[in-house]
Amino acid sequence: MSMERVSPIAPSTRGWQKRPGRLRDSQTAVLLVLPAAALLLAIIVYPLLNSMLIGFFDKSLIYGGGTFVGFKNLEAVLNNEFIPVLGNTLVFAIGATLLPFFIGFGASLILNGPIPARGFLRGAFLLPWLVPSVIASFLWLWIFNANYGVLNGFLRSLGVISQNNSWLSTGGSAMLAVLLAKTWQTFPWIAVMLLAGLQTIPADQMESAAIDGANRWNRFTHVTLPHLRNVIGIVLLLSLIWNFQHFETIYVMTQGGPAKATTTFSVAVYQTAFQAFDLGKAGALGILWMLLLSVVVIVYLRFGMRGEEDFS
Amino acid sequence: MKTTSGPWMATRASERALGRIGLYAALALAMFFAFFPIYWMLVTSLRPNSEVFAFPPSLLPQTLTLEHYANFIKNPQLLVYLGNSVLVATTTALVSLIISVYAAYSFSKFRYTGRRALMFLVLSAQMFPQALLLISLYLMFSELKMLDTYAVLVLSFTTFTLPLCIWMLKGYFDHIPTDLIEAAKIDGAGQMQIIHRILVPIVRPALVATGIFAFMRGWNDFIYALTLVGKSKQTLPPGLVLTYIGEFQSQWADMMAASLLVSLPLVIAFILFQRQIVSGLTAGAVKG
Repeated sequence: MSMERVSPIAPSTRGWQKRPGRLRDSQTAVLLVLPAAALLLAIIVYPLLNSMLIGFFDKSLIYGGGTFVGFKNLEAVLNNEFIPVLGNTLVFAIGATLLPFFIGFGASLILNGPIPARGFLRGAFLLPWLVPSVIASFLWLWIFNANYGVLNGFLRSLGVISQNNSWLSTGGSAMLAVLLAKTWQTFPWIAVMLLAGLQTIPADQMESAAIDGANRWNRFTHVTLPHLRNVIGIVLLLSLIWNFQHFETIYVMTQGGPAKATTTFSVAVYQTAFQAFDLGKAGALGILWMLLLSVVVIVYLRFGMRGEEDFS
Repeated sequence: MKTTSGPWMATRASERALGRIGLYAALALAMFFAFFPIYWMLVTSLRPNSEVFAFPPSLLPQTLTLEHYANFIKNPQLLVYLGNSVLVATTTALVSLIISVYAAYSFSKFRYTGRRALMFLVLSAQMFPQALLLISLYLMFSELKMLDTYAVLVLSFTTFTLPLCIWMLKGYFDHIPTDLIEAAKIDGAGQMQIIHRILVPIVRPALVATGIFAFMRGWNDFIYALTLVGKSKQTLPPGLVLTYIGEFQSQWADMMAASLLVSLPLVIAFILFQRQIVSGLTAGAVKG
């Protein structure tokens, strides 16, 4: 996506109109993009702005209503759930970015190394990524199950624990369980992205570094890492953005519990709107959520578009 | 790892051997993390409940049974979810592809005012939080009396498939030389002819890959189908959650059998189109 070709439309063809009745290029271009643009405005831009606008109204999903209340909802949210929800969101977003990143990076180095059945394994390692989020959550719920779960079985046979632990009913371990499920599902994506980057490192660069006496670690820090800088940046930023709004794994595994210990913005907004029916408060949470999210998105757009002539 | 002592080649060789052992150990560990859960899903789905509800669990099944798969097929509600998933994910993919082809071509081969802003919108649209969008989508579709229809699912899934398809297809169109289009124009071809007769045939493999991504995203959606439609229109992910987290709690083996069945189409699609999927993935902007 970062490849740019010769300027497609030469200036001389800009006003191209060979036969009467045929549209000029620029008009055609706008007509072609119109259905997509209209749809995007109707189902993304308008609803998103409207959802945030609702944050300034007193509105219920059941009883309707719509009295303008100014900053009342925002104030209420800031004084109550905002800080714990922000904390949970940050822990989840950062954890679900860094854990898969390190495991995925390790996996990419392994899959780039001299291993048997390399081609097959490169494909097979994508299996967890292919599993839908809801299914991955089912699977880890079962693994973490207090009474019959295989994790308790393992740990007890190893003597790490002497009694079955109910992982999902205490705050800290519930968050860890959700993070582990998400890590399992996402690390293959990171591995594939980094593996693609690793494959573009010229072999002679590695060779000459080795001949210069650079050991494994030095070759990694002086050749591999600088070469992967862009991919790493994109992978980390995209993961952070997506995890900042991830919903399924948390909602299916813990419903935000126990005692709201895993309630992130996505879960809080969903539950406030569709279980407590308080749209105004959900909108207010959404405003704060979007503010925080847009910081990362702007960084990504600047980073991702750097050197992309498309946008100039 | 010093290279000062001993003959240089020997140290290199021992370093290499050590590295090889470390590599294999790391591979074993990574394989355990990646594949044991899948093995566990499979084993659980194939053993009788007497083994499922035994602690500590045995790693190998003592008896094999297909009863949990039979339970899926015998449950008419689950088959409704399955049918809905196939219908909605396929329709979403097709609708998104058709609209995206034109938009992507426009973005890739033309320069006009507003193009840049629209492209920013497409790129950032994938990053807007679904739970927040959902509030207004719900109100909007409720006003239009569209809740609990297939159309509402296709439209709401389009919020994430359309930006994805446009961005991927634009990437592919960017690789098509403009000379080709210019030549067709000189031959008197109109823009529609250029798209339908020249571009679409050239990028057919890319269309397939993009369509598969869109299908996968639709197949995996949870939050929209959970909220915008009722039981008769619901797809598998919310349907299975309502079934196994609600109604039939702790039917773990049934749940694992259903889980495998739901994942299977994606695995088959991956095996068939591995190269296109991996290159689409690494082209970026595809949700991981």
